[in-house]
Amino acid sequence: MSSVMTKADVEAAQHLQHAHVEPKDFLRRYVFSIDHKYIAKQFLWAGLIFLLVGGILAMLIRWQWAFPMKPVPGVGKMLFPHTGGVITPPAYNSIFTMHGLIMIFFAITPIMIGCFGNFCIPLMIGARDMAFPRLNMYSFWVFLLSQMLVTASFFVELGAAAAGWTTYPPLSTNVGTPGLGQSLVVLALFVTGIASIMGAINYITTVIRFRAPGMTWMRMPATVWGLWLTSILNALFVPVLGSAGLMLLFDRHFGTQFFVTGAAGGIGDPILFQHLFWIFGHPEVYILILPIWGFVIDFMSFFARKPAYWYKGSVFAMIAVTVLSAVVYGHHMFVTGMSPLLGQAFMLLTLVISVPAEVLFLNWLHTMWKGSIRLTVPMLFALGTVFVFGLGGLTGIYLGTISTDLYLHDTMWVVGHFHLTMASAAFLGSFAALYFWFPKMFGRQMNQKLGNVHFWFSAIGVTAVFCGQLLAGYNGQQRRLYDPFQYTYIAHLRGLNQLTSYFAFALMLGQLAFIVNFFHAIFAGKKAEKNAWDVGTLEWTHCDSPPVYHNFDDIPTVLRGPHEYNHPEVLEKLGKDWIGQAERMPGETGEVIVAAAE
Amino acid sequence: MVVALGSFGILFACLLFMYAALRSQAVAWPPPGLPELPLFLPLVNTGVIAGSSAMFVLALDALEGGRRSRAVGFIASTFALGCVFVGLQLLLWSRLADAGITMRTGALGTVVYVLTALHALHVVGGILALAYWLAFGLRDVLASAIGGAVRGGSRGGLAAHSTMLRLCGMYWHFVGVVWVVMFVTMFLL
Ligand code: HEM
Ligand SMILES: [Cu+2]
Repeated sequence: MSSVMTKADVEAAQHLQHAHVEPKDFLRRYVFSIDHKYIAKQFLWAGLIFLLVGGILAMLIRWQWAFPMKPVPGVGKMLFPHTGGVITPPAYNSIFTMHGLIMIFFAITPIMIGCFGNFCIPLMIGARDMAFPRLNMYSFWVFLLSQMLVTASFFVELGAAAAGWTTYPPLSTNVGTPGLGQSLVVLALFVTGIASIMGAINYITTVIRFRAPGMTWMRMPATVWGLWLTSILNALFVPVLGSAGLMLLFDRHFGTQFFVTGAAGGIGDPILFQHLFWIFGHPEVYILILPIWGFVIDFMSFFARKPAYWYKGSVFAMIAVTVLSAVVYGHHMFVTGMSPLLGQAFMLLTLVISVPAEVLFLNWLHTMWKGSIRLTVPMLFALGTVFVFGLGGLTGIYLGTISTDLYLHDTMWVVGHFHLTMASAAFLGSFAALYFWFPKMFGRQMNQKLGNVHFWFSAIGVTAVFCGQLLAGYNGQQRRLYDPFQYTYIAHLRGLNQLTSYFAFALMLGQLAFIVNFFHAIFAGKKAEKNAWDVGTLEWTHCDSPPVYHNFDDIPTVLRGPHEYNHPEVLEKLGKDWIGQAERMPGETGEVIVAAAE
Repeated sequence: MVVALGSFGILFACLLFMYAALRSQAVAWPPPGLPELPLFLPLVNTGVIAGSSAMFVLALDALEGGRRSRAVGFIASTFALGCVFVGLQLLLWSRLADAGITMRTGALGTVVYVLTALHALHVVGGILALAYWLAFGLRDVLASAIGGAVRGGSRGGLAAHSTMLRLCGMYWHFVGVVWVVMFVTMFLL
């Protein structure tokens, strides 16, 4: 259990990261901060606000599907004054488009990657800050710019983007969606992509260069692995979306003809956009799930008080998914008339990529098996994540198989599927992380009871809502319909849709418990302990809650992995069921202590 | 920097992929009624940008050998050749426009303009960085020529920033390579 570190190694690590001095003036400290912990909070706020906006848009969609042509109660008159509160077809198109885009790019991404990437990576690998703190700051401000572009798009003539989150041409060209809003949103995607790439460069470099002495790759917490692999996918595939968006903008404003064709008089090819979109789009869904997998691997071990089962296997599974995610995108395009041979290849690869996911799943179950499980709020949310992700994963098999996908494509089944896998898992997983690291971030505790209420509303809510969508899709309800019940063959699904909507409203209502809890805890919560959960990762063992500006007075020397729980020798010698990654056993050697020089 | 260049590289790769896809679907290339693309100017420009990359290699060599003013000279030539490149590119566009190829004339104009413009944008970015280091180097050289220390002396001379310069060079070579690939695929083939 010990490692040999030379004194030179340790000194090299200390030298690489001299401690920055905390700035005194207001602007540098609270606005243009270069402190990764502060930037993390900025991303958190920006993301939470847009999560609320995205949630309200979702409620409007659900209202429309439950009670089409009826005025929206409350806010309706304000939002749709000309119709007395009834959602119009163009407004509806905008609503579901902006819901998807906002949730993915402007809510979940900043919270999960922007906030927790920033907060966790340096603290968990024992670094004093990111490799490029200034780039980190720019990343946030560029991101904020993209959020402002999105906000602006709601207020221009003809409204915000309305071509679906997938933005397929010809619908998304000037012919289909002439308004300025569509362009603004595509531009916002490009800008947010730049922010993502800046962040990715930073995260990748930081993990490679700034690990504390002794923090080998296989001793890194799974959280860091997940965030790191996500950054690699970001750096590789966001530029693909960037190029597609750029070409679309050129088509819309400079008369080029990349995607314009047919009656619109061009020789471009709209299907090419789909290729580019999904070459990015499929990795994107793994961008959104890899950090969550990381959290879950860690939390399962932390709260089952057992070592993570086959940790290496989980890491390799994540690496395998990262690689494979690049070669399965064709499963989104089975119905575009691709060659059957190509379709078969994509089908095979798609089924292959589900194997690593199953490895992870079994490892989680195995970790919990016979553990002494502590049902804390983060653990509840992590369990919920595992549940919805498993459910969603199963529904994906039917979509990955061509014969069944021909029927299910573009139905609500797809919507149910990706909401369970990506949306619900990311939603619950992000909250697991937020409840877990909140004490470290803000130095205060959140209320456990309110957390439980929030959990049950959220977990039951997402399961019911998205299973309702699966059912509707299985019965043939197409997605994105303004008024599904005008088609006689699905008119009988009105009751199902209404029930689903009631669950959605309850889900939204349950978020109040979080909002109350969050603000109450920030301003009046009990002071958090240094190690709030009795776990062994560096941010809990070596940093105060909240950590000091430069994180670590001395950069710790890491001696073991992050998942050492209920080790018999530790129990006997230290009398507790966990040991820190940099904590010495009595008599353990191999450690060099060097005081911070600067 | 490697990661960043990788990202830029993918952006250009996607655009070239679009070019290939559009071209492979076209009945004839160049599309009927349009002239062949000029070859001479782009060829010259390939030479220009290759030369400027070479100058930068020499600059780094000189710096390593401790010959600071030589290094600054080479950076200056890199910079100058970069400017020439952009100038010739502007000339190329005006020639194309004269020949009736604009951004709106179908697939050909679409890809040629968008790709070259985007590339030129990246070149301009590189030129700005070069300008910065050129100014920095000049000040360094001048200051030691008149015997004084560099103002803001804590930042050190040119040699103290060799890593930044190397990165700057990487970017510059990258932009050069992208141009060569574009030249071969769009103008030569
Ligand atoms: C929190 C509760 C949520 C509810 C009730 C909800 C509901 C909906 C509904 C009704 C649709 C329209 C489906 C259609 O295209 O016809 C939709 C679409 C979508 N949602 Fe959600 N959603 C929620 C959370 C999320 C989250 C967290 C994400 C992102 C991670 C997300 C991503 C999407 C995407 C990508 C679409 C597709 C939009 C499109 O096809 O244009 N949703 N959602
Ligand atoms: Cu996919």
